[in-house]
Amino acid sequence: MNAHAPGSLDSCSEGWVRDEVARLLARVTRPGRYTGGEFNLRLKPGASPRIVLSYPDVYEIGISNPGLQILYAHLNDATPAAAERAYCPWPDMAALMRAHDVPLWTLEAMQPVAGCDLWGFTLPHELTYTNVLEMLDLAGLPLHAAERGEGCPIVLGGGPAVADPWPLAPFFDAFFIGEVEHRLDEIVDALAVPSRAARLRALAGVPGMWLPGVSERPARRQVFTAFSSTPPVLRPVVPVLEAVHDRAIVEVMRGCTAGCRFCQVGMWYRPVRERPVDLVVEAAERLLGETGCDEVSLLSLSSCDYSGIGEALTRIRALRPGVRVSLPSLRIDSAAESLGSFAADQRGSVTLAPEAGTQELRDAINKGVDDAQFEEAVRATFAGGFTGLKLYFMIGLPGETDADVAGIARMTGTAARLAKDIARGRARLSVAVSSYVPKAHTPFQLEPFAGAAVLRRRQRLLRAALPRGVRVSFHDVAASQVEATLARGGPGSHRLVEEAWRRGARFDGWSEHFRPEIWEAAAAATGIELGTADLHGDETLPWESAVDAGVTRSFLADERARGRRGELTGDCRDGRCAPCGVCGGGVEMDVLP
Amino acid sequence: MTWWLLTFSRGGPAVYLSHLDTARAVQRTFARAGVPIALSQGMRPKPRLSLPLPLPVGAAGCEELAVVEVPPDLPGPAGALRELRAAAPPGLIPAAVIVVGEQHPRPQALEARYTCVLEGDAGAVQAAVERYATEVSVVRERVSPKGRRTLDLKDYVVHAAAEAVPGGARLSFSIRHRDDGAARPQELIDLIATWAEVDPVMRGLKRRRIIWKGLPPGPSLGAERSVSR
Repeated sequence: MNAHAPGSLDSCSEGWVRDEVARLLARVTRPGRYTGGEFNLRLKPGASPRIVLSYPDVYEIGISNPGLQILYAHLNDATPAAAERAYCPWPDMAALMRAHDVPLWTLEAMQPVAGCDLWGFTLPHELTYTNVLEMLDLAGLPLHAAERGEGCPIVLGGGPAVADPWPLAPFFDAFFIGEVEHRLDEIVDALAVPSRAARLRALAGVPGMWLPGVSERPARRQVFTAFSSTPPVLRPVVPVLEAVHDRAIVEVMRGCTAGCRFCQVGMWYRPVRERPVDLVVEAAERLLGETGCDEVSLLSLSSCDYSGIGEALTRIRALRPGVRVSLPSLRIDSAAESLGSFAADQRGSVTLAPEAGTQELRDAINKGVDDAQFEEAVRATFAGGFTGLKLYFMIGLPGETDADVAGIARMTGTAARLAKDIARGRARLSVAVSSYVPKAHTPFQLEPFAGAAVLRRRQRLLRAALPRGVRVSFHDVAASQVEATLARGGPGSHRLVEEAWRRGARFDGWSEHFRPEIWEAAAAATGIELGTADLHGDETLPWESAVDAGVTRSFLADERARGRRGELTGDCRDGRCAPCGVCGGGVEMDVLP
Repeated sequence: MTWWLLTFSRGGPAVYLSHLDTARAVQRTFARAGVPIALSQGMRPKPRLSLPLPLPVGAAGCEELAVVEVPPDLPGPAGALRELRAAAPPGLIPAAVIVVGEQHPRPQALEARYTCVLEGDAGAVQAAVERYATEVSVVRERVSPKGRRTLDLKDYVVHAAAEAVPGGARLSFSIRHRDDGAARPQELIDLIATWAEVDPVMRGLKRRRIIWKGLPPGPSLGAERSVSR
């Protein structure tokens, strides 16, 4: 049933929210973050089990996460469970909650999170880890799973960051490794038994589940093999507050086999699976009605690679006048063609990601884009009437030299010249430069992090070399250093997270909240050196003892070696299988004919 | 094109929306209901929808007003109202649709009546309200991103009264809207709370009634005749 269904509330009445919560809401910024009230919100009073889904960031970020929408819709609409949500309270609210002893509540029932049966976190990246502890603490739960007893919910982690669960391992009762859609029913069934211990035992039997200190072998990453035949979420929760993304989302494809050697999600979500165009278009039509949005985003890791992209764009635009379709990413080698398919009235800005400044380094990372393709894409952007161009680069990649950094400035100069010649100064050009962080289960998983000193020097070098008039933004090196420490943390790395949280670290992904001095102090207190990973050559890597990602270690090692030789590896969807080890046992690439 | 007036109430979780979020919620309700809104001209067309009197964050509104331009060939408002009610988010309840015609209505609020509860000593709140009534002038400074401005609350806030309720006092007051602006409900609440030495947090703030001018002749917009012409 629909929560607070229109007409069911006397809109001038009080009493829908507890007084203790209402008092806090009156004192904080953006109180609507904490009250639900969205379109398509579900409420199932009395349903069991009661599951809370969380994204460890502020509401406006978390509500835009499509993964959580999938879980929320399936659990509420296709299982007996009631799924509710909680996001990380902003510091002003957190302070008030502590001062007034009000525990974290859910947006649906406005009831304490701690009373649920299972609390699931989607873990997007390392800089949200302290927010997980913040939410556990605000809910009134013991931080450590070992200290939780009967009556405490089971805390379950999932999402891409569980590629290495060690930095959070002691805080979670269990982790689910991989895509969970087809395992949700089993998870709900596991909660039917009465005691906490029995529930944990039942959960341990669900494929893909890894229980710290209990599981004796790594959990195999789960792949949702029915992706192609399953419709996307058709009735998502639509925020009333302004969120970071305000559009209807249709996931057209999962997985990417372009094989960029730095990219963790490219390895994590293999193999490629595509939804039929009919399913995509039907979903888009339904979503336009359910959400009230006038923009549909065709979501995937690389939507230009979706086999039905042209037909889908044409048919969705024909659904009704004024519908806009957006693609979250464009491939440089096919950008000119893709840009031409956008309607004239939606030509805003374009983002291209060359990633590296020279051909040698782009070959080393398997980003097989050449200068001519880049120039053609930029030319097509400005000639097509787009008003802005944003370029994404990374510094700190393995094997990078100062010449590669100079190459970033050179490519930006080329783009600036074309902007001036073609757009006659009417187009904006900006450059975003992130610091490369080696991640688990990638070909570069054994590469060292470049280090703060090197990154800062290269940032200075680049800033001095970039042409005037170009807006440039850099990732905070200190934050990248923390990310690098946690991305390949082993057993014991949780001490750094806990110490930093105890010293006040919160919202580390937000530049205005990230406080490097806290992490430095936490590192000193725990004896963990920031920016390093505890690796020992051919021994089992820390994350390998918890997670079997499916991509074999020999494939990753081979790719690393090929990268050092500057050799490209083709996309297996083009017919040449790069034997990464994922396919087999019912898991296969599933692309449109 | 045709102009409609939509009256609606805002309560429940919707009271915590900002003015812009409320406008977005109304616009999205129309889209979900399949009732098109006319778009402005220009490079970036915007829906022709406005809420003429912003409601403070945290306040319920018993009868709010939206001015909307729709295509002329839409079927009658009764069916649209049904669809709008079904499509609205929790707490935002469309009450009536009134077809105005081709003339753009530009309603202006003359006065709005509010109530809220201040927790604490009811006697102290009542004394503070009595003091307010006897003051000739109560000048306050308002600091905003636009700068500083002084205003005399007595020029705007009228009919202030307080009655004891369990746990505190119910404050009721009216705010006049003049050509030079209006006082904010929170400004009076802060003043009374300061004088009464109680917590200034406004709880249960409700805008119960608005008196308009500039509305076209037609049927009453609300059951309680809370909208007048």
